Amino acid sequence: MPEPKLAEELKKMQREPLLPIEKKLITRSILLGLFLVAVLAWTSQVLFRN
Amino acid sequence: MKKGMTEDWLAVYIGLLIFALSLAGFFGGDLLGWAVTTSVWTSVSKALAPASKAYAALGGVASLLATYVFLLALLTLGAKALRLEPLRFAKGFTFVFFAGYLSWIAGSWAYIAATADKRAALGIGWSLNLTNEAGFIVALLAGLFVGNFVPYASSRIKEAIRPELYVKTGIVILGGMLGITAAEQTALATSMMFHGLCAIVAAYLIYWAVVYYVARQYFGFSREWAAPLASGISICGVSAAIATGSAIKARPVVPVMVSSLVVIFAVVELLLLPFVAQAFLYREPLVAGAWMGLAVKTDGAAVTSGAIAEALIRAKAAANGSLYQPGWILGASTTVKVFIDVFIGVWAFVLAWIWSAKIEPKPGEKVRAFEIWERFPKFVLGYLATFVLILAVAVAAPVLIPKAKSAMGQANVFRGIFFVMTFFTIGVVSDFRRLWEEGIGKLAVVYVLCLFGFIIWVGLAISWIFFHGVRPPLIQG
Repeated sequence: MPEPKLAEELKKMQREPLLPIEKKLITRSILLGLFLVAVLAWTSQVLFRN
Repeated sequence: MKKGMTEDWLAVYIGLLIFALSLAGFFGGDLLGWAVTTSVWTSVSKALAPASKAYAALGGVASLLATYVFLLALLTLGAKALRLEPLRFAKGFTFVFFAGYLSWIAGSWAYIAATADKRAALGIGWSLNLTNEAGFIVALLAGLFVGNFVPYASSRIKEAIRPELYVKTGIVILGGMLGITAAEQTALATSMMFHGLCAIVAAYLIYWAVVYYVARQYFGFSREWAAPLASGISICGVSAAIATGSAIKARPVVPVMVSSLVVIFAVVELLLLPFVAQAFLYREPLVAGAWMGLAVKTDGAAVTSGAIAEALIRAKAAANGSLYQPGWILGASTTVKVFIDVFIGVWAFVLAWIWSAKIEPKPGEKVRAFEIWERFPKFVLGYLATFVLILAVAVAAPVLIPKAKSAMGQANVFRGIFFVMTFFTIGVVSDFRRLWEEGIGKLAVVYVLCLFGFIIWVGLAISWIFFHGVRPPLIQG
């Protein structure tokens, strides 16, 4: 079987609009991530810097 | 055909065997002292020597040959377990071992490797100050040459071109070395572990979401392409792209194509970031180490860039009068990378659930929790075993610390050899001609934009928040 070509594979790709569930996944991930970084940074300050 | 052992498990077995042999040092034995070490040299005849003085009579060349025969036997048995053709593997391994080791010897030439404080003793007036880890860079360049300009040779040795196997074995061995380092500074080691948690948050929740959004919204990638691409750029390169591809049921060709790009850019990072870290972060060594783990993709490139950053920063700090203990910068890179790896299975499980339940639901399809274990990177178990065992021994019986240091020092000789083979083989698999392949442009633009425009800076910011002002202990006396 011939090896698939990247250009052909990308050409086959169809535009798919972002679904609400994807938007939710993206925003919730980022918000949770920022929140956890803040909590961990604060905890680290309290536990290891003082 | 019966399925063979995975590279992951093989790395655990080989790493643990070498670790176990080194433990003879606790009981007065010396089972690995014949292994070859390389010093910074002005006369090549003095470059090589056995690791232990007890084997000094062996001489450098004989200890190199003994090390080769030992590793050849061990890895050829391993190749059999992987269901590879042993003879082809043995031939390829011979090439990889000697090309890697000759590169290391070349990189240890005093004019390249000597640090400023050693020049007088070596009788030279100048040097590039790169330490003998410069051999890693020479090995990478040699590998790039073979992979890109001598395709015939690289195809002949492809059975032994296994950077993931070599680096994972090296990481399992490294666990013991980091265990003894951590035992002497438990508070700092705990703080480093804590940073590992933050690395998980950054890689999976922030990096992934942003890259996925950019790929989907601005570059019009389909979900099948965007998810493996986001994992490849954000998490840990090849294995994450493959795990994600299989979790969302992408066609196998998608993660394979993403992976080829990941490897190429990992090499670019590996050649750039340790030098950037040396130039701008030599006063913040642990920030630099953690940054390598968070910014450089693929296990091999991330951990080895930590090794180069450590060598470069220690050399520069030594020139400025600060002699940092070895192991801490590399320890920060490795801890961050291992923590990120641990979570791949969980992340793939989460994506598999979202895709099967919400995005592309198929009746009767269920995601099994067992998949988390299936995708768990098993070499992490080997790393944890060597780390925890040595840490526990050193904390419980501090009187044994000198013996533990000496034993881990011997095991660490092999860690260096596995790392140099990792560098060489990463070079061989990095086929830069792919960048000229039709259609790669769009994929490469997302990669470059996200990696150099976002990921390395967020990684730097997070490493800075957790480690600025924290320095490795200094060498006393």
